[in-house]
Amino acid sequence: MPDRILICIGTKKGLFVAESSKARGKFTLRGPFGHGGVAVYSALIGTRGTPRIYASSCNPFFGMKVLRSTDLGKTFKETKSAPAFPKDDGRALANIWSLETGDTPKDLWCGVEPAALFRSGDGGDSWEMVSGISNHEHARKWQPGNGGLCMHTILRDGNRVHLGISTGGHYLSEDGGSSFKAANKGVGAGFTPDPYPEFGQCVHKIAGHKDAPGRLYMQNHGGWSEWDGPGGRRPDIGVLRSDDHGKTWRSIAKGLPSDFGFPILVHPHNADTVYVMPLEPSTRTCPGGAPAVWRSENGGNSWKKLAKGLPKKKSYFTVQRDAMDADELKSPALYFGTTTGQLWIGREGGEKWECLFDALPPIHCVKVAVV
Amino acid sequence: MKLMEKQSFIARAPTITVHVPAPLRKCCSGASKIALPVTDLRAMLEELERRHPEFHRSICDETGAVRRHINIFVNTQHMRDCNGLDTSLAEGDEVTIMTAVSGG
Repeated sequence: MPDRILICIGTKKGLFVAESSKARGKFTLRGPFGHGGVAVYSALIGTRGTPRIYASSCNPFFGMKVLRSTDLGKTFKETKSAPAFPKDDGRALANIWSLETGDTPKDLWCGVEPAALFRSGDGGDSWEMVSGISNHEHARKWQPGNGGLCMHTILRDGNRVHLGISTGGHYLSEDGGSSFKAANKGVGAGFTPDPYPEFGQCVHKIAGHKDAPGRLYMQNHGGWSEWDGPGGRRPDIGVLRSDDHGKTWRSIAKGLPSDFGFPILVHPHNADTVYVMPLEPSTRTCPGGAPAVWRSENGGNSWKKLAKGLPKKKSYFTVQRDAMDADELKSPALYFGTTTGQLWIGREGGEKWECLFDALPPIHCVKVAVV
Repeated sequence: MKLMEKQSFIARAPTITVHVPAPLRKCCSGASKIALPVTDLRAMLEELERRHPEFHRSICDETGAVRRHINIFVNTQHMRDCNGLDTSLAEGDEVTIMTAVSGG
């Protein structure tokens, strides 16, 4: 019977693990894990079978490593290898941005920078590049965004695999990951003359829900309402929804203070409830210095501000694309980490916020599980 | 090069010493020094890849390039001030692999 909450917090200076009972009272903290406290951009808590925690470790000296824990994050060891491009490929691994489970507990999917996909069938000890997307005809035309050319989202739904690439856009496989097509109809871009290109959008994050197959939510790179150059204005292209497995997308940004942001999250028990963290597009910080999570309970038709307990002014942090998650208890709590090293918990689905830790290193990712 | 020719070539090659940085000794069964019969730095990296692949992966990326924050010295000279990976090695040379000063 699951009896604890685990939070993996990937930071600029290593991985931290916070733990509490299901009451979510006091959280203990351990870490940092990872050699020499190097940056961790992605983490995964696999809960099928024996829980396993994986995290990437971006060592600036010795290259990428993958960390693995089989004791609920008390100790971590490096796996036998990290993803690597074939020797004659010409690309070199710069970072790992996403780790997801596959069909079995030891089946892992991994999105990397420069944008490519790898799979492991043995819990991260060996890796194979997935050619269908990594060598896609578009791959050499993708360009890095501010964070690098990263594959940050891997969503699986049976034989469908959705990938988010910045900047590449959304790619869909309907054959289990063998082949992929760009699926960006309705996904705008503010940095190309064509406002709706076939690919090349700066997608920030994509989220779905198992109870609503075919429906997806996307936080895209918004903040282009003031643009008046070729192609015309592009308001509200930042927050989108698809109801046909990502083949077409429509805006659901109306009512938000900004359509720019990084994370997007779906309530674990309700596919109609979705959360975003709007940011000022030019600075990537909280609008007016007042952070707030915004929630829609009707699939994006309207939005409500959730800020009780959050600072009302003078807070100019960023919440990065993987730095928001929710637990799966009956009344879920939300969690987000900031670039100023704060970890916040939003109890009752984000109604009441409280800072759990206020002086961690800058936070890149937050992953939560009940184990 | 055929195997026998290579073995004969290696037998004639000078023996140099590679100093392993402390964080990477676990990749080399704990060794702090490795003696190798090689004639230049490129051959040294190839031999390290063959004998200690994890160590090699930590100092070179998939393209074979030395990682950005790794410095390789032949005795006291940085390889960039010699002939890069084509720097010749002589009997008794000491090759030191060090991390660059960087951080933040």
